[in-house]
Amino acid sequence: MSDFATALESGVRLLRGLPRRRARVHEARTAAAAWAAAHPGLRAELVVDERPGTPVVDFDLLIEDPEGGTVALTAQADDGVPWLVDHSTHWAAGQLVTVDEVHLSVAQALTMIRSLSRRDTTPHDEIVDQCLILNEVQRDDGPVPDEDLQAAADEFRRGRGLHDRAATLAWLEETGMTPQQFEAYIGGIARRRGFRRRKEAELGPARLAARPEAFDRVRAVWITGSERAVAAGAALLRETAGDRAGAPGGTAGAEGSLGAALAALAAGGGIETTLAERFAFELPGPLGEAAGGTVVGPVAQGGTFLAGTVLERTAASPDGPTLAAAGRVAFAEWLAERRGQASIEWHWS
Amino acid sequence: MILVLSDRRDDAVEMVLPKLAARGAPVTWWDPGEFPAGSTLTAAFADGAHRIVLDTGSERLDLSEVRAVWRRRPNPPEPAAAVTDPSHRRHVVWQAEFLLDGAWELAPARWLPSRREVERRAHNKIIHMARAAELGFRIPETVYTNDPAELVPAYERAGGELIAKQINSDEFTVDGAGHRAYTTVLTRRHLTSRHRLRYEPVILQPYVRKAVELRVIVVGGRVFTAEIDSQASRTARDDWRHYDDDRVSYRAHRLPDGLGRRCVELVASLGLTYGAVDLILTPEGEYVFLEINPNGAWGFVEEQAGLPVSDAIADWLVAAENGKES
Repeated sequence: MSDFATALESGVRLLRGLPRRRARVHEARTAAAAWAAAHPGLRAELVVDERPGTPVVDFDLLIEDPEGGTVALTAQADDGVPWLVDHSTHWAAGQLVTVDEVHLSVAQALTMIRSLSRRDTTPHDEIVDQCLILNEVQRDDGPVPDEDLQAAADEFRRGRGLHDRAATLAWLEETGMTPQQFEAYIGGIARRRGFRRRKEAELGPARLAARPEAFDRVRAVWITGSERAVAAGAALLRETAGDRAGAPGGTAGAEGSLGAALAALAAGGGIETTLAERFAFELPGPLGEAAGGTVVGPVAQGGTFLAGTVLERTAASPDGPTLAAAGRVAFAEWLAERRGQASIEWHWS
Repeated sequence: MILVLSDRRDDAVEMVLPKLAARGAPVTWWDPGEFPAGSTLTAAFADGAHRIVLDTGSERLDLSEVRAVWRRRPNPPEPAAAVTDPSHRRHVVWQAEFLLDGAWELAPARWLPSRREVERRAHNKIIHMARAAELGFRIPETVYTNDPAELVPAYERAGGELIAKQINSDEFTVDGAGHRAYTTVLTRRHLTSRHRLRYEPVILQPYVRKAVELRVIVVGGRVFTAEIDSQASRTARDDWRHYDDDRVSYRAHRLPDGLGRRCVELVASLGLTYGAVDLILTPEGEYVFLEINPNGAWGFVEEQAGLPVSDAIADWLVAAENGKES
């Protein structure tokens, strides 16, 4: 047998012994490199064929033919694995996550990512939340009202600066969506928004009734910064609290007194001051539960320190904005509860 | 009385039940998976006659009163938890299946789509493809084989555009993870492991180019056809069961005169009263037969393409109850 024939036979033995698994490709490359080093005249190279959606890989060995040209060797051992099984794919190939009954494909996830908007959560959590809502609306096959479609489309376009038809068409071209697919996509967003709106309206009144003080309208001022600066600021707020309580002219007078205190604080530097009216549950730290005139802090808050005082507290009433806020809180709690109960399987992480 | 045999979580049954209620038809929904652990069945012979009574745990049903049975997605019999020895459990299932098959055979009802054995036979691709060819459907040049020597010639005949499919859908694992063998478009790489065909037969067919795919639902003599625009999706273009609903659209499709009738004939000739026929409409306008699934899904045909399949199923079941054919 010629040297080349002997090398070919050896090459086949090499290929038959290589582990055909993606996780062991490095091992295969090491073995092939050793073989190539032992046959320097053949300029051997291992080609790894990693198939999508399966841990199974294939190999080819390219070697130089002494008579010129390239010889490609491939070898499949007789390992008893049926043909279609060897060429099968993972059941979730092409899918990103399964949340209860919803299987989200990579293609759907990529489309969904375009509409993710929340800055207070990770894309992972927001995708799961969207899937939870999809579970709720998947049997809802009624028509989506035109005004909901229009609102969803307008919001989507505004969020991406698509201010006219030409810009929208250019965006569709860029993303590979047809106008029909875009329409269906916006329909899906509108349906999910509609569900959220209905659920918020359904849950809001009970949420408000359960803990109305969380929805008091509170006007407050608070400072954040280093512990020392905030402690000094808190002392100043306490010193001037009496002035504000007795200030002639009511709230305006109190705020005038507060303005002087804030100016003194700002002169010291190192603190950030916020004066705002919010729902009680939206206020930082213990301010949300503080009575009018009370000074709280300093307390540790999100890596910094906080102190503040409530200037005015108005008891919650079931008006539109308050019910809407209660609905948003209730919906977030409902979603968190559903997330806790859901079966969530990320297929490729 | 209409008897529905299916899993309790079957959405398709949920879609039809309101239609049956609207028609005033009495219905019992029972899953054979509840037998014998949670239900009893007694077939009593005396004085030259017999009486078969099913007690589901919530109602007693004399099978002689059942006029129509919808055999949807029943679970196999399940032994009681107290039966723990694996050989005892197998024994329970074997005995229970035999009794159920006999009871269903004696029930004077008509069946949608059919009794178990008829469905099993009709589901066999080689059987229904032969029947479809006899009825004049255009079928792709198809090879069912485990002979490695067939692979390369089939690949060459197809001009290098060959697909492989399973003989029957099934689940298995690779390295412990669940895998599937969807419709596989072959490359030259697949030819290099031709010896593996010896271990298991497969289906080889030329790749048929698609304008759209069609699912034709036959209920008795009625035909509903949904068009699946699978070519709009890279994920689903070779096998729409990869589902990509963001991109794939579904709509009603009108079959040419005669083709719908041929679908009805195919279903009937296989002993079925229901069938889901999968066709391809080529860019040249030819309709190509792929397969028939005797209990194939129709929910998306109704929900996505707006075709009233659940009404047709309810009508068929109620017509039997009323002693009419449809």
